[in-house]
Amino acid sequence: MAEGKIKHYGKLLENKEISCKELTEKFLSEIETANKDLNAYVKVTPETALETAKKVDEKIAKGEKLSPLEGIPMTLKDNISTKGIETTCCSKILEGYAPIYNATVWETLSSENAVLLGKTNMDEFAMGSSCETSYFGGAANPHNINHVAGGSSGGVASAVGGNIAVYGLGSDTGGSIRQPASFCGIVGLKPTYGAVSRYGLIAYASSFDQIGPITTTVEDSAIVFDAISGYDKMDSTSQGRKGAPTVDSLKNDIKGLKIGIAREYLDGVRDDVKLAIEKACEVYKSLGAEIVYFNLPALKYALPVYYILACAEASSNLGRYDGIRYGYRTSSYRDVNEMICKTRSEGFGGEVKRRILLGTYVLSAGYYDAYYKKAQNLRGSIVNAFKNAFKSCDVILAPTVPMTAFEKGNAISDPIETYLTDICTVPVNIAGLPGISIPCGFNDKGMPIGMQLIGDTFCESKILNAAWQYENAAGSDVFKASEYGVKL
Amino acid sequence: MVTHEDVLAIARLSKLYIAAEELDDMTKAMDDIIKFADTINNASEEGVEFDNINNLSNAFREDEVVPSYDREEILRNANDIDEGHFLVRKRV
Amino acid sequence: MKYEMVAGFETHIELATNTKIFCSCTTEFGADSNTHCCPICIGLPGTLPKLNRQVVKYAIMAGLATNCEIANISKMDRKNYCYPDLPKAYQISQYDKPLCEHGYVQLSSGKKIRLTRIHIEEDAGKLIHKRGDTYVDYNRGGVPLIEIVSEPDIRSVEEAKEYVEKLQQIMRYIGISDCKMQEGSMRCDVNISVRPEGSTELGTRTEIKNMNSITFIGKAMEYEFGRQVDLIESGGKVEQQTLRYDDVTNTTSSMRGKEDANDYRYFRDPDLVTISVTDEEIDELRERIPELPFQKQERYVEELGLNEKDAQNIAKYRNIAEFFETASDGVKNPKTVANFIIGQIFRRLETESDKEEFRIATTAEQLKELVKLIDDGKIKNNLAKSTLEKMLDTGKGVKEFVSESDMAGMEENALNELCRKAVEANPKAVADYKNGKQKAIKSVVGFVMKESRGRADAAAAEAKILELIG
Repeated sequence: MAEGKIKHYGKLLENKEISCKELTEKFLSEIETANKDLNAYVKVTPETALETAKKVDEKIAKGEKLSPLEGIPMTLKDNISTKGIETTCCSKILEGYAPIYNATVWETLSSENAVLLGKTNMDEFAMGSSCETSYFGGAANPHNINHVAGGSSGGVASAVGGNIAVYGLGSDTGGSIRQPASFCGIVGLKPTYGAVSRYGLIAYASSFDQIGPITTTVEDSAIVFDAISGYDKMDSTSQGRKGAPTVDSLKNDIKGLKIGIAREYLDGVRDDVKLAIEKACEVYKSLGAEIVYFNLPALKYALPVYYILACAEASSNLGRYDGIRYGYRTSSYRDVNEMICKTRSEGFGGEVKRRILLGTYVLSAGYYDAYYKKAQNLRGSIVNAFKNAFKSCDVILAPTVPMTAFEKGNAISDPIETYLTDICTVPVNIAGLPGISIPCGFNDKGMPIGMQLIGDTFCESKILNAAWQYENAAGSDVFKASEYGVKL
Repeated sequence: MVTHEDVLAIARLSKLYIAAEELDDMTKAMDDIIKFADTINNASEEGVEFDNINNLSNAFREDEVVPSYDREEILRNANDIDEGHFLVRKRV
Repeated sequence: MKYEMVAGFETHIELATNTKIFCSCTTEFGADSNTHCCPICIGLPGTLPKLNRQVVKYAIMAGLATNCEIANISKMDRKNYCYPDLPKAYQISQYDKPLCEHGYVQLSSGKKIRLTRIHIEEDAGKLIHKRGDTYVDYNRGGVPLIEIVSEPDIRSVEEAKEYVEKLQQIMRYIGISDCKMQEGSMRCDVNISVRPEGSTELGTRTEIKNMNSITFIGKAMEYEFGRQVDLIESGGKVEQQTLRYDDVTNTTSSMRGKEDANDYRYFRDPDLVTISVTDEEIDELRERIPELPFQKQERYVEELGLNEKDAQNIAKYRNIAEFFETASDGVKNPKTVANFIIGQIFRRLETESDKEEFRIATTAEQLKELVKLIDDGKIKNNLAKSTLEKMLDTGKGVKEFVSESDMAGMEENALNELCRKAVEANPKAVADYKNGKQKAIKSVVGFVMKESRGRADAAAAEAKILELIG
């Protein structure tokens, strides 16, 4: 399992065992059938895909060398702007919106002839943990379609887990890459804030959002991260990757690596998940790593801090959807103001409205200090708490989600309950740290369990290395391909 | 305690209409969320000044003109346009 | 009871940068609608702002020229309000950490109008309402602005007008804005209240929005002052509100709409990073601040012997001041240069903007050459005047119009000859003189001067004439 799918398909192309056109068509036809069950794709783009495939085949014919991601079929979450291709955030309010520019990450990948199969499903404006707030209905879990794929990048996880995309790009604001990856039994990397450009990523919460890869193996995540990370002059908060490509250090020995476990991360975590984490610790010990336990009391307030700050930013970021320049517009109104209010009321779903209202509330006169300001200060202490933690360990090991993928329809019922599923993922976004979720077993119902490796800022190499070593050692007991999709 | 009035005032600022039949549920939901958010005010510590992630400063652009987009592109996604403008027509 | 006016200004000035504040679109004025736009300045989802370095520099220069303290650490905030001319539904501005604070502008009376702050922000687009339809043009959206906020230190319409003129002069001098009120590159909101003379507390204020002419500012303030006084006199109360001034009816009326629920929910813009400026960088910019109008005015009076009024009229316009300084550099009496400018040259520059642009055919060097001839007594003033007219008409130099012989003066015989002619030609004047009319001699001398086209020495001529008529 150590060799990733990207290299695998890359070899098939290079050795002319299959043409890029054939490979692409294979994926497209599998999408036709599998997507009926999974609802992973909200838009399939065969023309774009086959056009790129043609270019790649011409290069192969000329005997030109291919770059790692060239000709590999992939997908993008529907909040990543693609010029001329509908980008809706799975919201009615962006119905029919086709950007006139490319997100920086897509500019980069398309210039490398990445084969875009389509745009994938997500919670509306990335606000959700089940993908069920999507205007197009939720994406299903490839291991059991009665369960959710997770969210918000549920479509990417469902597509990659269901083998109808080799890899995909998601976005992670409070866990939206790691949580669905964990639910679908695959790998999801949330990079350090600033490692990957946000330009063209439709904002949910600007100081938390980060684009990252969702793949089946750690190596694939490393390859994709190396490709999309980099400084972008269009994004004032971007810094790019620091240091050598992460693939270089993937297989490094981890003898003596200090793996920290913060006890707070295990509070309220379900037993099957706890057990899997403990097993993972044993694997790491066998690889010569050292497990150190410590406390992170600051985590107690992570969840409310996250929801206050993220919703505050969201309430401002989502103000622009007024029906004037793009997207949905209501049909009947008396004046411009009523047009805007009706457009927004009809265009946004319930969860989005709830978060806009919460965000407006915590910023409004009289409440700013008690909520926004206070949360901002607590964010400061959480940042410091992690800084200190990394003085005593190299990486932090934690569950990705306190439970496994829940059954469809159970998420929306109680907002707060749903928010609690993010408890293990939000701290990383609050502190802008890199975190990766990798499979670490299955529960008795055969649903995947994920664990999270967290590093200090710009230490992607370290967590990818630790993740690869675990994946390599644990192998097939923790990873099982779903019965869906392309098998070659 | 979040009241109907609070919710309506916030909704006005957010340019959202809350239908009469939604108001109770939305108020309840808001009240729950605010109670949940309130837990931070039990925090003993005051916390520390937070500037921006990675404490960055001075990301500037040089003052050099780049040609703008064609007007057709700029107006492409609009619902209604006229004479090169975005347009909101009067309705009755 | 007597009342006094209490007024403060919020002045928006568009900066003369090449590009907008957060994207690379041009700031050029007057193009077709929505042709100076890109995904960033129409607020397409996913776009991000990138701050224009020049905007920060210009704002700091504005602060330095108005005696402000410059903040080493500053940041950008979001001011949230939803309006069709604001593509992101928030304006990126500065809330609690502006670039400049605690400055002042000094009036000619010596009184200081204190400035609370100067901050940078983005302009909004333009709405055009036709038959109830709303047309939106985002060309102006994202054009960089500074907002200059004054303390309520202004007590009269005169002070208000001078304050605005001074700001205009200063910003033009340091070259950060053309401050064209008619084009909207300078706009004023006036906060005004009244109180019984002698009282120290502030009355309830009203705000007159978007004034774009100094004359209207004066009229609007007079009207609003009267309105508030009448209200109070008749036992009423001034209510805090935002007003629009109508220059046709010369009245103010309440503005509705935008204003209903004003809670801007300011918070730091997470898409932009901290602005930090070192003292070295501030000093560098201080170097770039030229001598300002009132400083020049002082120097003209004290060092060059001009009177207050002339000094002010010349110093007011940067181009004219520079012309004057070059032309008067090294001449015996700079006042002569000033007189030519205020007299003959100003006659050719009717409007304010004519004076601003100062397009004339004659160069400062050419004028200096002319003045030097007067200094050396080579030509007389009235010849110089007529010559300057010709120079201004043609753009040609002094030599074109003043010949060697013009400058030679007259040798004695020629003068004697001319005097004899004069006596013959003016028997009446001569007779009058002989009958004791002293003054009559002047017209005879005048004849000589006229004939000699000003070259003759009037005193010598008079002596000779007297000798001739004994």
